[in-house]
Amino acid sequence: MSSGSVKVRLVSGRTLSQGRAMEKGKITQEYEDAVAICELGSKTMEALGIENGDIIVVKAALGKINVKAKLDKNLQEGMAFIPCGPYFNYLLDAYTQLTGMPGFKSLEATINAAPGAKIPTVKEITQMMKEGVK
Amino acid sequence: MTEAGNTFKDVVCTFCGCLCDDIIIETEGEKITKNTNGCAISKERFVGHMENRCLQPTVKGSAVTLEKAIERAVEIIASSKRFLIYGLSSTENDAQREAYRLAELAGGVVDNTTSVCHGPTILGAQESGETTASLAETRHRADIVIYWGANPAAAHPRHIPHYIRQPGEYIKDPKKDRQIWLIDVRETTTARMVDRFIKINPATDLEVIETLRALIRGTKLDVVEVGGISIKDLEQIATTMKTAKYGVLFFGLGLTQSFGRHRNIDAAIRLIQDLNAYTKWGLMPMRGHYNVSGANKTSTWVTGYPYAIDFARGYPRFSPGEYTAVDMLARGEPDVLLNIAADPVAHFPRAAVAYLAKIPVINIDPKFNMTSQLAEVNIPAAIAGIECDGAATRMDGLPLYLKKVIEPPEGVIPDRDILRMIIKSLEKVMK
Repeated sequence: MSSGSVKVRLVSGRTLSQGRAMEKGKITQEYEDAVAICELGSKTMEALGIENGDIIVVKAALGKINVKAKLDKNLQEGMAFIPCGPYFNYLLDAYTQLTGMPGFKSLEATINAAPGAKIPTVKEITQMMKEGVK
Repeated sequence: MTEAGNTFKDVVCTFCGCLCDDIIIETEGEKITKNTNGCAISKERFVGHMENRCLQPTVKGSAVTLEKAIERAVEIIASSKRFLIYGLSSTENDAQREAYRLAELAGGVVDNTTSVCHGPTILGAQESGETTASLAETRHRADIVIYWGANPAAAHPRHIPHYIRQPGEYIKDPKKDRQIWLIDVRETTTARMVDRFIKINPATDLEVIETLRALIRGTKLDVVEVGGISIKDLEQIATTMKTAKYGVLFFGLGLTQSFGRHRNIDAAIRLIQDLNAYTKWGLMPMRGHYNVSGANKTSTWVTGYPYAIDFARGYPRFSPGEYTAVDMLARGEPDVLLNIAADPVAHFPRAAVAYLAKIPVINIDPKFNMTSQLAEVNIPAAIAGIECDGAATRMDGLPLYLKKVIEPPEGVIPDRDILRMIIKSLEKVMK
């Protein structure tokens, strides 16, 4: 067991659960469950000393957010994946390289285990973005 | 509009850019009871169309009549100095047309969700042209299909089973006669559906594409690997691409959103152009929202430009990075946002959302979304392709008619009619 921090390249994108939950409605538990997660490979989870479903804190230059760890056994070391949505975007800067497109696929981040920490609800994260909480 | 037995055949699904047109919808009274042929997301969209619905217009959280909500929206727009309209990709063509009219009338900016999905695809095409194909052509002719930076298993669930793993005129056995490959930085669910998965290192797409271009031209490269792929494998990939009878490259946001943005697309287009010196290849973006492709087309028909258009001088000007919604919000430029058929609070970076919370927002959407929480005016809309008809454009540019299969909730009208009411009222105010 280890409780160190792990540096990752954070990528966001679509998942089937995120798509279904989005169609159901964004102010729902299903949507929160689908997007407030971070997929990690087994070696990364081992390095963090966590198991599938444990709470982690993902830190980037702009701030940090608590989400649930989800095992993706095919994900390589050094990479983590958060479905597209407010939990990833909370960490994302708005620089678009003058193209209109932010860097959804390449965020440098650090992950730590966060046992007992609370994951903000969709409503709470909207409020956090509004108030600029770091 | 109603068909016998409340069963509607050949309904077009309005979720993703596949616009699958073989959906069978069964209704009972005011409910949709069954969706046959649709993917898991399509079933949720149709059968769950009444879940989390916004049924009543509101102003500052208080329920009002539609007329009152329109009146307040018009007051806000009329007093604005830098008006921004954003969204438009999950609605039909006529609503999009009304949005451009409103932007022109108010001297505002109109941007669609392209700016955060395939905007770089358009910029790449403006640099290098298009070498395109249709989905039907792909099914009938392609002996090789490559997905690059796309995960159709999650975002376009029927793309492979409905269009690619199907027999065609010249591809009798799609498993034997057609190769499907995936190039991506992650081994996604799609990797398990294809014949070959090629993993590349993140942010190396441009290098790998340019290497393939060099190899296809017969250049010998003095390197061992590029982007995590051995040069031997790259040579074999280049040879297979060059000797294919007919190939199609489908690319996703893994190319447009990653390092290089439009330069990746520019290079991909040139790769396909190079291949056409030897054989036949096409490429196609995997468009996400069901009518984002339509938003680009209607916008180009009406204004001359596909997205990021400013009418402040009375005529349209196009400038991505300047009139794109994320950039405008991050700079703190617009003083009013009208959001329609999108959800910027869910999908924009934090700084853009933080600014959006400081200005009046008019939000037009069938459901409660994250933007509803910050909007001063919320106006519910009928869902196009379910509760009202319209037209939309598939990812390959094919326009399709969207059927109405059920009545919208009482008092809820289509996006196009809401926008027409706003325009009519604004014209009176501006006289």
